Amino acid sequence: MIAHGHSPLYYVGKLLTYALLAAGAFMMVLPFLWMVNASLMSAGEIQAQPPVWFPAEPRFSNYSRLLDVMPLPTLYGNSLFVTSATTAGVLLTSSLAGYAFAKYEFPGKSLLFMAILATMMVPAFVTLIPVFFVVRQFGWINTYQGLIVPGMISAYGIFLMRQFISTLPDELLDAARIDGASEPRIYVAIVLPLIAPALATLGTFTFIGSWNAFLWPLLIINDRALQTLPLGLNNLRTFAAEARNLDLLMAGTTLSVLPSLILFIFLQRYFIRGIALTGLKG
Amino acid sequence: MATVPTSSGDARAPWLTPTRRRTLWAYAFVSIPLIGMLIFFVGPILFSGWVSLHDWNMITPVNEMRWRGLDNYTHLLTVDEVFPKALMNTFIFAIGGVTANVVLGLGFALLLNQRIRFLTIWRVLYFLPVMTAPLALGVLFGFLFNRNYGLINNVLVSLGIQRQPFLASPDQAMMVLIFIAIYQYVGYYIVIYLAGLQGIPQDYYDAASVDGANRWQSFRFITFPLLRPVTLFVLVTNTIGALQVFDLVFATTGGGPANRTMTVVLYMYNTAFKFSRMGRASAMAFILFAIILVVTIVQLRLMRDRTAR
Repeated sequence: MIAHGHSPLYYVGKLLTYALLAAGAFMMVLPFLWMVNASLMSAGEIQAQPPVWFPAEPRFSNYSRLLDVMPLPTLYGNSLFVTSATTAGVLLTSSLAGYAFAKYEFPGKSLLFMAILATMMVPAFVTLIPVFFVVRQFGWINTYQGLIVPGMISAYGIFLMRQFISTLPDELLDAARIDGASEPRIYVAIVLPLIAPALATLGTFTFIGSWNAFLWPLLIINDRALQTLPLGLNNLRTFAAEARNLDLLMAGTTLSVLPSLILFIFLQRYFIRGIALTGLKG
Repeated sequence: MATVPTSSGDARAPWLTPTRRRTLWAYAFVSIPLIGMLIFFVGPILFSGWVSLHDWNMITPVNEMRWRGLDNYTHLLTVDEVFPKALMNTFIFAIGGVTANVVLGLGFALLLNQRIRFLTIWRVLYFLPVMTAPLALGVLFGFLFNRNYGLINNVLVSLGIQRQPFLASPDQAMMVLIFIAIYQYVGYYIVIYLAGLQGIPQDYYDAASVDGANRWQSFRFITFPLLRPVTLFVLVTNTIGALQVFDLVFATTGGGPANRTMTVVLYMYNTAFKFSRMGRASAMAFILFAIILVVTIVQLRLMRDRTAR
């Protein structure tokens, strides 16, 4: 920044910077590494004193034994279905409403938009009890729609989409109208492709949020066939409360955490961009 | 906009002009989200406010709820022994975690903002815990901090230090929870501060260094003031988020020992879904909501005043 020189001090500074960064990153990754490592140990090794850092021989059998107590195919299947449906719903409703608020004039527009912004201020726990009641009135306890539908509308998503679609030039839409395109066609053929990056950002956030969601599924699902991954992990947690099942607990936690971490590593630029976007506009 | 002549040659303009047609489409586009909002946000908020003035177990019909006026609120604030503790714990948790992470996040963002190699990799590593389900981190750290067989205690013993009760201790449990929250979210702060730092033009620093400013002065008079909007944003959003903590506490301490880690949302959950006191629980939600609004307004004011100065 200040000196471009290559004085010894400069190199010491650089070295120090990298050392601090490496130490921090190591701290961040260590619990995960230990978790994966411990998932291949025996329960005895995991709690050994003095600590054992690597398994004497990797016990992949922990994972096959895990399958007996944790219905992983069901849990993954449910989580994937619920999360995908929720994400698709959020993307559709947010982009439709965002498009209308950005590019149309209609009576009551600003009032409605203000109302949506106001709901962004309301934390989720305020609506927890009444939404539970609503969902129960609908007969949606222990159903997929109970898990999916209440999460399909996002005030934040509508806001984000409106901001993004506002930046698209009106001429583009008007040109399509002159060519005789209908309004839904303009949305599908012109708006949607142009907002793909914003959709990717909103989609990744919604996906992770929904994938990790725990409290709402805990409330409305007790049918084992409909449980999502966090519910399965919670069951495992109570089952493996005893020290002798620690190997299963670590294997189960590893398999719960891995999908979102892998997804993140592939989609990380959408997250980073999304966070930078919301943070700086905020 | 001019009315498009119709092919029929009718002298009167048709009702469905292109403008009207567009307006109708706009309503169609917003209708589904708005109906959803009514059913799952607006209606529930109003209903919850109404419920908070009653005794209700969610089983008796809605029109037979027993009216209690503000009793639920006064009970929580004056009689209830747990609720004030839960409020206090929630605040300690939020303030501890957010403050530490503003400092750490800015610090590491400054380190990363000096033409560092492998920036993407560093960012990914720091961000991993943010992506992890709080429940899963609760399970993992619940083991690491276990008083009897946790890895951390085993390491401490190897170093000749006495075993610590950690999550089982009334005095240490909250600190451990704050530590886990710092660990989980510091990456978010780093990413957001780094984006803020990258938005500051290099010219400012060049000008300052021409004027003879040292590094600390550049930070104090350029970086820090220009990051104020970012700081404001992370303070507001993360305080609101931290005040709602549930999963982590549920998976580690369950609010114990002796309610020392009981938080508002966990207490609300227990009151509503274990003891079926919907009115009392709704009142809790509104008290915390009111506090969150006040905190947000105060934070906005404070930051705006300083910016104006």
